[in-house]
Amino acid sequence: MPVNVLAICCNWSPWACLNQAGMTGLVLPENLKVIRVMCIGRINQALILKAFEYGADGVILLECRDEDCRYGPGPKVGHENVERVRRLLSLLGIDQHRLVEVSFGAHEKVEFVQAIEAFVNTIERIGPLTQARKKGGDLWWKQGLTD
Amino acid sequence: MVETRLDGLIREKGLYQCLECGKCATSCPRCMSGKEYSPRLLAHKVIAEREDEAFIENAIWECLTCDLCSERCPSGVDFSGFIIEMRAILAETKGLKGYRAHDGAVHAWMRMMAIPELKQHRLGWLPEGLRVKSAGEVAYFVGCAPYFDVFFSGIEVNTLSIAVDSIRILNFLEVEPVVLADERCCGHDLLCTGDRENFEALCRLNFAAFKEAGVKEVVFSCPECYFVWKEYMPRVCRGFDLKVTLLMDLIDQEVSKGGITFSPLNLRVTYQDPCRLARMVEGGVELPRKLLGLIPNLRLAEMEHFGRGAVCCGNSGFINCDAYSKFIQIKRLQEARSTRAKTIITSCPKCMIHLTCAMRDKAKTGEWKMEIRDIHSILAQDIGWFKG
Repeated sequence: MPVNVLAICCNWSPWACLNQAGMTGLVLPENLKVIRVMCIGRINQALILKAFEYGADGVILLECRDEDCRYGPGPKVGHENVERVRRLLSLLGIDQHRLVEVSFGAHEKVEFVQAIEAFVNTIERIGPLTQARKKGGDLWWKQGLTD
Repeated sequence: MVETRLDGLIREKGLYQCLECGKCATSCPRCMSGKEYSPRLLAHKVIAEREDEAFIENAIWECLTCDLCSERCPSGVDFSGFIIEMRAILAETKGLKGYRAHDGAVHAWMRMMAIPELKQHRLGWLPEGLRVKSAGEVAYFVGCAPYFDVFFSGIEVNTLSIAVDSIRILNFLEVEPVVLADERCCGHDLLCTGDRENFEALCRLNFAAFKEAGVKEVVFSCPECYFVWKEYMPRVCRGFDLKVTLLMDLIDQEVSKGGITFSPLNLRVTYQDPCRLARMVEGGVELPRKLLGLIPNLRLAEMEHFGRGAVCCGNSGFINCDAYSKFIQIKRLQEARSTRAKTIITSCPKCMIHLTCAMRDKAKTGEWKMEIRDIHSILAQDIGWFKG
């Protein structure tokens, strides 16, 4: 069964990894959608939850190491949000393995690709999140409105 | 001439009876906090200046649906009812849904709960020692507390304590309530933001789940859940035949039978009336005061605005959280502080969340801080059998 995986990627270290991976010909899985943000601290609980509501089968947050954050608290905000959303997903009966965060140094292109591959494999093994495909969610999506 | 949906709504909710007296605007907490919004002006625009769509579409989402305007209205205009229906129309036709606090996370999990296949794991909070079951005649409705406490863990709010203490009271009254593993949100906030499709889906799923568990009566501690079940479930679910009971009512009935006593609590408290209870449920003002009056040594000091005239905690349906709501909350906390009470008692988890949040203002550390507790927790702590 095909799955949709969403990667939310910080503009700094992880994006540098993605760039280098591209330049050296490393290939990322096809069913991966990458959203680039300036810092993982930009992402809040709502945005992660909505990714699932709108049809993601797995969400991976790609962030800098704690000590490398250009803004200060970004990755720590990420840890907090992931911890809380995992508990919310658990209440909703959604497997917590569907949400992960991984941090990278700016040079770790191989580790970066491996982490994404491993995550996509996990989601493919667990399968699509059929119970979260929502009529209402799809409706907002189709209308092209931001929620 | 064909009557449009809007015309019908204006007539049905009594807006044509508006005298333009302005009592609604001068009682509206949003208007009085400086927001450029007025129920009176909105009523005028939808009747006589419908071409001003931008104004109308904005104003519809400003209202807190706290119903204080209808309370004061000499013509009995059902303004909150009008707003709720208008939001459904605007959501349906234009996809509008207002400015949602917390980026709409609360509404997102509520919509996810409207998926029939969803299998929640929501009973992990139940402490040992509480007696509950999965099927039977009387159920307790927990609501979104397990979700709130995770989402709002940053402000350290404990709304699950309300559920725990409510079940403790039920157990004390020899009721072992059904607590459903698959209970869904009552849908109040989806109703409030115009998402009628998912709201009705939640209503139907809840009705089916409680029926399947053999439930005949559902007991509520949350006024919003109670309001939805009382007012909307019979309209949405065909053949709805469950008895809907407010826990406070149940306690009151049991107390009147005699034998129940409360241990003394030496505390000066004030009471925040939740909108849904004080203005939308008959006896919703007297009931909590009567119960608090049963606790010896507990002194209730009323705020300047109380009972049917009480002011909202600043938000409803998790929309409109802004500087104006903050202003409403701070005014409310100031009123509470000036009663010289130690504790604010409320009976709605959302009042607890919003007032706790306002107290945590970083710029004013400690200045607005007060203990805030739910009435069910106070009652559960002190209830006992008379040992004459």
